[in-house]
Amino acid sequence: MSESTLLQNASLGDRSAGPGETGRPAPADRTPEVPTLETRALSRAVAGKVLVDRISVQIPPGEVLAVVGHSGAGKSSFLRLLNRLDEPTGGTVLLHGRDYHGIAPRELRRRVGMVMQTACLFAGTVATNVTFGPRQRGESISTDQVAALLDRVGLPGYQDRDVTHLSGGEAQRVSLARTLANAPEGLLLDEPTSALDEASARGIEDLLLGIIQERRMTCVIVTHNRQQAARIAGRTMVLEAGRLVTIGPTKEVLYAG
Amino acid sequence: MLADLFNNLGGNLAMGSAQAAGAIVLCAIVVAACRRFAVHMEREAAVSIARGLVQMVLVGIVLALLLHGSLLVGAVILLLMTVAAALTAARRARGIDGSTLRSFWAIAVGSGVAIAAMLATGTLSTSVTVLVPVGSMIIANAMNACAQAAERFRADVTASVGQVEAGLSLGASPAATVAPYVQSAVYASMLPRLDMLKSLGLVWIPGVMAGMMVSGANPVYAGIYQFVIVAMILTASGISGLLMTLLMRASAFSPSAQLTLRPGPRAC
Repeated sequence: MSESTLLQNASLGDRSAGPGETGRPAPADRTPEVPTLETRALSRAVAGKVLVDRISVQIPPGEVLAVVGHSGAGKSSFLRLLNRLDEPTGGTVLLHGRDYHGIAPRELRRRVGMVMQTACLFAGTVATNVTFGPRQRGESISTDQVAALLDRVGLPGYQDRDVTHLSGGEAQRVSLARTLANAPEGLLLDEPTSALDEASARGIEDLLLGIIQERRMTCVIVTHNRQQAARIAGRTMVLEAGRLVTIGPTKEVLYAG
Repeated sequence: MLADLFNNLGGNLAMGSAQAAGAIVLCAIVVAACRRFAVHMEREAAVSIARGLVQMVLVGIVLALLLHGSLLVGAVILLLMTVAAALTAARRARGIDGSTLRSFWAIAVGSGVAIAAMLATGTLSTSVTVLVPVGSMIIANAMNACAQAAERFRADVTASVGQVEAGLSLGASPAATVAPYVQSAVYASMLPRLDMLKSLGLVWIPGVMAGMMVSGANPVYAGIYQFVIVAMILTASGISGLLMTLLMRASAFSPSAQLTLRPGPRAC
């Protein structure tokens, strides 16, 4: 990874405000762009049970799309198909217009990062975790770059801390920094605050919102918290039994009727 | 030949039966004690004891019949033992496609290398009465190493699905995401054999050495020979444990680098 890319990503707080920073990214007034992510009749069934049922959706650059629904609606199953952690049994996903079956899974996952419900950090120090992704490609990032990333996620000076001594909120911040170190084009968030207490959850949410707006990142967030969806996402889709029930501007979808 | 075998048995049959009964009673006491702590292995212990006794009697008969068999006969017997070992070890690799075949190759390669090396250097005679007992010791240990590696790898990976998938999500190769579990599985499979080698002569004097000394062999040579056998057991176990772990790793992921070895609920 080039140093300029990482430094740019790590010091985003210095960037001037863009159109997406007024609240929720709203790319409506832009000329049509190739969606960062597009699903076409995306489906997955396991042992005869349909988890995701022919979902087609386009996610343009810079948009934050929330996925809501009851437990078992297929939200996480849908998300895991986007970076091919699970294999679709039907349909496909396009990344910048290219069928992801033609992209090596490792490259796809670097470009479409994922933050999970629990941090699942690797044994060792915070710095070991943050540098994990680049090391997988034989790249290295400098200690300054690691420090800048940790500063951005609110953990200044945490480089040498052992991850076993971190709180849940701190661990989730390290997980986010670890994902950002790969400089992904898209970000998948699988209920990133659901395992945290309310204060930590709100802190992570504010952090995510800031980073998404600064980078104008394309983002898909699975959440069971409708208020969180309203605060973060420009559009929201509702799933029921693996099927897309409705999709539209978050306020219209969540508060209609 | 069989008639000779049973004629020579004489009073040994009664004595052997009494000794076996005594051993079984002691095993039953241990199983009962375990039950008090809610460790239920009554059925498995009963089956194991019954199988062990019947199998050893049958082996005695077969060895008597094949006393003057050729190297080929010995090889066939060892091959059948390897198949039986693979079926046993495969039970520890549930959830892995083709676990029996993978276990077979792991045990066959590990024990095959060790036995071939011993035959090539003249350490092991081609006589069936020597080849089969020593070969069986090596195969049995390779089987244990294979089963221990399989069980440890499966347990570690299924308990760490979240971390493995976190690694995959960061663009790591499947091999990199399970590297710690490969190390721990191979180490766990080697540890009993390493302890065996360490304690050789201090804690236990193995049967081969004792048998050689009883039959008049030089005690120093008997000791060195026993060391060679235990070292070959370690070699076979190491190869089998490593190979089984690598074969399991290969089948734990889909061609698209998706983790397929997983328990029901997701865990870290």
